[in-house]
Amino acid sequence: MKTTKDTTTAGNGGGDVRLTGISKTYGAFTAVHPLDLTVPEGSFFALLGASGCGKTTTLRMIAGLEEPTSGTVRLGDQDVTALPPYKRPVNTVFQSYALFPHLDIFENVAFGLRRRGIKSVRKQVEEMLDLVQLGEQARKKPHQLSGGQQQRVAVARALINHPRVLLLDEPLGALDLKLRRQMQLELKRIQTEVGITFVHVTHDQEEAMTMADTVAVMNAGRVEQLGSPTDLYENPRTTFVANFLGTSNLIEAEVDSKSGDEIVLKAGGGKLVLPGARTSAPTATGGKVLVGVRPEKISLTHADDAGEIPEGRNRITGRIVDSSFIGVSTQFVVDSPACSDFEVYVQNIDRDTRLVPGTEVVLHWNPAHTFGLDAAQSPLAGTVGSAGVETVEEEVAR
Amino acid sequence: MAFVNWLKRHLVVIAGLCTLAYLILPNVVVTVFSFNNPKGRFNYEWQEFSTAAWKDPCGVSGLCESLSLSLQIALWAMLGATLLGTMIAFALVRYRFRARGAVNSLIFLPMAMPEVVMAASLLTLFLNMGAQLGFWTILIAHIMFCLSFVVVAVKARVMSMDPRLEQAAQDLYAGPFQTFVRVTLPIAAPGIAAGALLAFALSFDDFIITNFNAGSTVTFPMFVWGSAQRGTPVQINVIGTAMFVVAVLLVLVSMAIGNRRRRQKA
Repeated sequence: MKTTKDTTTAGNGGGDVRLTGISKTYGAFTAVHPLDLTVPEGSFFALLGASGCGKTTTLRMIAGLEEPTSGTVRLGDQDVTALPPYKRPVNTVFQSYALFPHLDIFENVAFGLRRRGIKSVRKQVEEMLDLVQLGEQARKKPHQLSGGQQQRVAVARALINHPRVLLLDEPLGALDLKLRRQMQLELKRIQTEVGITFVHVTHDQEEAMTMADTVAVMNAGRVEQLGSPTDLYENPRTTFVANFLGTSNLIEAEVDSKSGDEIVLKAGGGKLVLPGARTSAPTATGGKVLVGVRPEKISLTHADDAGEIPEGRNRITGRIVDSSFIGVSTQFVVDSPACSDFEVYVQNIDRDTRLVPGTEVVLHWNPAHTFGLDAAQSPLAGTVGSAGVETVEEEVAR
Repeated sequence: MAFVNWLKRHLVVIAGLCTLAYLILPNVVVTVFSFNNPKGRFNYEWQEFSTAAWKDPCGVSGLCESLSLSLQIALWAMLGATLLGTMIAFALVRYRFRARGAVNSLIFLPMAMPEVVMAASLLTLFLNMGAQLGFWTILIAHIMFCLSFVVVAVKARVMSMDPRLEQAAQDLYAGPFQTFVRVTLPIAAPGIAAGALLAFALSFDDFIITNFNAGSTVTFPMFVWGSAQRGTPVQINVIGTAMFVVAVLLVLVSMAIGNRRRRQKA
């Protein structure tokens, strides 16, 4: 076992993070169920989930701040499970930053270098402070800086050590929306520039999708699904993922027949077509399936013009219950026999002024945009208000 | 009318000055009477100005010996109580152990208990153990009652400390010892310093507990008490004034340093 830290990315198999059968229990409560996860070197990896889903615990086990109940943590080909945090070539950007209040910015950033016995730190620290555009602030104390500046100090303090993996624990949680957007781009730029593996924990699906190459969606101590942001969004495999990433309309349907790759379903008196490749549910004839479609994939046509809808599209009739004008789009809620609150987002290209609440309409979409989920799950899992999911405002207020 | 308005506007300042006068007046009397040249043995009536006592502060036999003993005891009691109290405070805040709740409330017992009761029971204990009364029994007693105050001061500070700071230090390659020295201790330092000063002051002027457990040893408060029975030498006022001046100077210096630091930052 190595006792000194190797701070270069060369050797030791680089910056792959491999978690094998890792779990964490506190008494009777299981925070993380046995979990296998590989984060490839140089990637920007996000652990996404509601608070209490085990994502921070997983991160802290990689950092060494939490001892796993079972399983191993490997960095490259080095097993670091038994190493204390100060011997792991890993650095963390903490939630609320945890800058040392008694040290100035320069000393905060120099902390890691000094602890490793590096004498001449001035040049490195100044370069790092320039990278995060804080060269002027070197002699200030953390409390004299704004939230965004503190956040950049926290990143600089971690990055200056050239860790093999940088762990970010909700690093943007305390910032306001505008600053958060700016820091998302900034972090992504830094990651591309230094090429270090980033593991980012967040409850904000937009943040995860904007920055990460790969997202692992966690729920109740388990990884629900892992993939690229587009893959997760287009092909959710569980209702939790379908609802937690963006919004999904989920309709309960019955399998009517199968022809080749197409599955024909009955829902609310109509027929819907679902591509077999896009369903993660068993599809025996007569069985139940949850049919999903994203609100922005749906077109809305006034019932009078129903004849103009091309053949081969999935269609559902209904009545507009509510509409709200958002600017780029108008969001409709439609009541239909298949589903009482169907959400439809229509781009404001040619606005049909007849589409007001009370209007009879036809919803239609390309069958290829339909996905199928196992009907045994709650169609509400992962929606705002369901157990374990909080709105961003609640999270920030605490 | 104008006067009433003026009064209204300056009421806070006037009230403040009155309170300050109330606090400082006894010290002023002590200082003034340190320049007295009393007739007879008691220094209670102003006679004439004299600096005799200032020129010979140790002129009364036993006074400077008792002062030096009190300073020594205060210093050791401060060190002992601060060390133990800091460790107790950390243990109480950081760890969950059996009887933590009991320790948490028992630690306040010396603060709550009447001093006379504590003094008498301590004496009983020392006598039963066959301990030789003197320097060591005084020191043990002082550390005991100073402890609670240190614990209170340090605990408040440690409780408000973000545990993530220490985790951040560990994450940045500081081992347990380095983390404590570089992060934990500097952040807890104001609380520890406050506790230490309090312990010093409490130990230095304690009379009741000391009087019970001192045997034939005489500390400065005991000397003052003893001489007050027979007549008060002016030197007592001299020592009192000197201590007051030293304390005020220390405060002024620390304020000046703080101000300068703040100005440099800005």
